[in-house]
Amino acid sequence: MRNFALIHRLSGIALALFLPVHFWALGQALEGEAKLESFLRWSEQPLVKASEWAIVLLLAAHLTGGVRILMIEFLPWRDWQKTLAAVATAAALAIGLLFVLSSTAHAQSWPQKPVKFIVPFPPGGGTDISARLIGQKLQEIWGQTVVIENRGGAGGGVGATEAAHATPDGYTLFFPSGSVVTANQYIYAKLGYDPERDFVPVTNVVSGPQVLTVPANSPYKSMKDLIESGRANPGKLYFGHAGIGSQTHLAGENFVYQAKLDAIAVPYKGEGPGLAALVGGETHFFVGNLSASIGHIKGGRLRALGVTSKTEAPQLPGVPPIANFVPGFENAGWFGIVAPRGTPKEIIQKVYLDTKKALQDPVMKEKFFAQGLAPVGNSPEEMARAMKEESEIWKNVVKARNIHVK
Amino acid sequence: MNAKVQTVLWVMQRASATVLGLCVLVHLATLIYAVQGGLSAAEILGRTRGNVAWFAFYSIFVFAVTLHVPIGLRAVLSEWLGWRGPSRELVLLLFGVFLAYGGMRAVMAVFL
Repeated sequence: MRNFALIHRLSGIALALFLPVHFWALGQALEGEAKLESFLRWSEQPLVKASEWAIVLLLAAHLTGGVRILMIEFLPWRDWQKTLAAVATAAALAIGLLFVLSSTAHAQSWPQKPVKFIVPFPPGGGTDISARLIGQKLQEIWGQTVVIENRGGAGGGVGATEAAHATPDGYTLFFPSGSVVTANQYIYAKLGYDPERDFVPVTNVVSGPQVLTVPANSPYKSMKDLIESGRANPGKLYFGHAGIGSQTHLAGENFVYQAKLDAIAVPYKGEGPGLAALVGGETHFFVGNLSASIGHIKGGRLRALGVTSKTEAPQLPGVPPIANFVPGFENAGWFGIVAPRGTPKEIIQKVYLDTKKALQDPVMKEKFFAQGLAPVGNSPEEMARAMKEESEIWKNVVKARNIHVK
Repeated sequence: MNAKVQTVLWVMQRASATVLGLCVLVHLATLIYAVQGGLSAAEILGRTRGNVAWFAFYSIFVFAVTLHVPIGLRAVLSEWLGWRGPSRELVLLLFGVFLAYGGMRAVMAVFL
């Protein structure tokens, strides 16, 4: 009895000294989302973790003594029964708390080796550019190489299928453009993956408008020229895209549909190859991501006729919104990270928080801005909601435009 | 100090200990949910802000701590340091107020 009382008293003194510090730190951290975010990050440090373990042991010791004292005073049990009950209570508490602490071990130890981002398009497209930019910054944060693996084909389906079947250990993540996980399921009769079943959202990295371009030597000098010519010559205009079901395909189809044109879609293996074909005059126009198109525009190889946002894009001054010619037209593209289902939640949370942190870097913001992209960095829950909403929109467009691949 | 006050303190100490025992279990379950669910700061605050049940629970938790800790320390100060009298009561009272302020500040920060 004396030992239990002593343990109870000593641990109580230690906890009493700790409590004011704990309350003060919590009060500071909980004042706002940004502070809480940095507090959660701070609490992952080894020294803080070690002190948490010490508190767990103190709490367990204090409860052991406390339960023993209460039992002696209130319950007519035998001595050994009281001791057993007190020890069992403390053990249960300690195990529970240690479980909480150790559950973050995944996130703390990850990554221990290079992390692979599967990009479902060839190099040079908007998806690839975005993945490489954020991958570079995440590499600095994680202290591990981020490998970009381009797996193009089938409108992103080849890479998506490979990512869906990857080991869900956090070392293989999928970096798609929006349509790969929100539209392909309505387009392809046979798909090697199910976006909802096989992936869990991590974070939407960046989003931005697209731009309609024509070759520099094209007779179409303005959006008006293109639309008038297209209406006067049905079935004679060809537009390229990054693959059936890709973001650029849906953007092109959306434009053709809303501008009331009859144009033929030509699939390429990715946005990079599609834009190269446009430069070579194989097609008449391309509704591409700003990130992939801007280099060709600035280099004088392509002419920008219109942007898909409602207002001018600051990166392309003087290029009017397509909405000026096709009232109500608007389209945006996004690139984000999803993980194979089964990836530990702590890793998903870490990737999300680290990506969000990377996106706050002014240099990173500037780099994305130059590509016509704006940082997003939403939470896994927010991304899941946004994907669900977008999925509904594409479901209707795909049905209306009868875009199907058997 | 008379026997009646001693008895009241004894009862308060035991009662607050029982409440704290239950609160720790609920708090533990909450932590497991938050950590296992991988909730972000925004998601945690989204669940706690304006949640009256959450506010009531943690207010009770803080209240029980505010009672339990000073009463426990009171016994330690008397028995081990021989500190008795009004100065001890004042220090303990201030310590209790400080705990209540710190605890409720943290609770309010996530409720409002």
